[in-house]
Amino acid sequence: MIQLSYLDYSAVEGKSFLHRLSPTLKIIGMLLVLFVIVTLRHLPGLFLLYVILLTLFFVARVPKKIFSLTLYPLIFAFLFIFLSGFQIFFILLIFLKVLCGSTGVVLLLASTPYPSIFSVLGRVLPSIFVMALFLTYRSIFILLTVLEETQHALYLRGGVQWKHPWRSLINISNGFGHLIIQGIDASEKMYESMLIRGFKGKIHYRGE
Amino acid sequence: MSHIHFPDGVLPVWLWASGFIVAILIGGILLRFTKKEELTRRLPLLGMMAAVMVLGASVEIVPIAYHVNLTVFSGILLGPSLIFLATFVVNVVLALFGHGGITVIGLNTLTLSIEGILGYYCFRFFWRVLKRLTPAIFLGTFIALLFSTFAMIGVVGLGTSHYEELIHQEGKGIFEFHLSKEKEEHHPGEAAEEKVNLRRFMAIVLPLGFIGWILEGVITALIARYVQRLRPDLLRLKN
Repeated sequence: MIQLSYLDYSAVEGKSFLHRLSPTLKIIGMLLVLFVIVTLRHLPGLFLLYVILLTLFFVARVPKKIFSLTLYPLIFAFLFIFLSGFQIFFILLIFLKVLCGSTGVVLLLASTPYPSIFSVLGRVLPSIFVMALFLTYRSIFILLTVLEETQHALYLRGGVQWKHPWRSLINISNGFGHLIIQGIDASEKMYESMLIRGFKGKIHYRGE
Repeated sequence: MSHIHFPDGVLPVWLWASGFIVAILIGGILLRFTKKEELTRRLPLLGMMAAVMVLGASVEIVPIAYHVNLTVFSGILLGPSLIFLATFVVNVVLALFGHGGITVIGLNTLTLSIEGILGYYCFRFFWRVLKRLTPAIFLGTFIALLFSTFAMIGVVGLGTSHYEELIHQEGKGIFEFHLSKEKEEHHPGEAAEEKVNLRRFMAIVLPLGFIGWILEGVITALIARYVQRLRPDLLRLKN
């Protein structure tokens, strides 16, 4: 999850042609990628799509640290090996679909600041849903700092040791409990500051 | 385990499209019966709890590909109607990070919200019966996860004929787009193989799931104990 901050940094600070492209166009492009993934059952075709997405990934100079994020869903795709009865064609098909999907979405998020994405989504989705999405995304970054601090504190004080699994489990759970309490406190402050700024049930986004 | 980490393009269109329709319908009905002021007031909390769930999903127990969901605990804090919206948001955010496909957001929301809603009611029931926080939370979480995992297996099972088609697709065609449940006829041997494969899938998922249910139950109970110690007002428990 630490890559999330890089993702956001890349979206805001990037200067490539993909970063300059309109968010609406990029979302339409992502929908096209999705349509191809859903309908295509042809390995060379999917491979070509993956190569195109990879080329865009490197041409757009997205930080290489983020690339591992596109490989993460492969962990779960391994379950399909058992479902398919070890059929190579099926496994390759699934793996390519996974890689195309994850590379597409990561590319979209790494080249488009999230307020711009939510601004486009706000035109088609209910405002309450887009607001919840926006607040969640914002909260992730608030909590990420708390999580990092809690993790450091736990490791520095020897809170997580595999020799003592029960104690470690208690400490990890307390860490999560701490995260939740901090999160709830932050949400109460956030609501108060939103009210002070004139929040009346809708967040207005600046234009693209 | 209840979260379907399905990529896009694996499930049949009729299945994931139905998932979206049902999720939107349920979401619409729940939101209609929630007071607007209440919703607006609790929106930052909803965002925070959704963020906690997303961050929980980032803590991976690698050997069994399990991560804590914290959906049950979020359900207890948010209540049954808000947890539905929260799980919808969580699934959208996770899909945007490549964690599960975009097309399966609806189905994932349904299975994950079963966990949150059932967890809420089970916890309330066990709290009333046992009057002890740790076993009430543990049992609530365990049962909710058990049901949502079976819901997930049910969804996987509904797409079995489609996987069969994909497996036997090699060299047949390039594009496919069916909105109906129509399928090709299969030989009896193929049907048997289908069944065996789903059983194999269950044989992998259920033992791993069992470890996950226990782990999540223990972690949720420990978190609840910690939260109850520091902020007893959050769980709203009456003795």
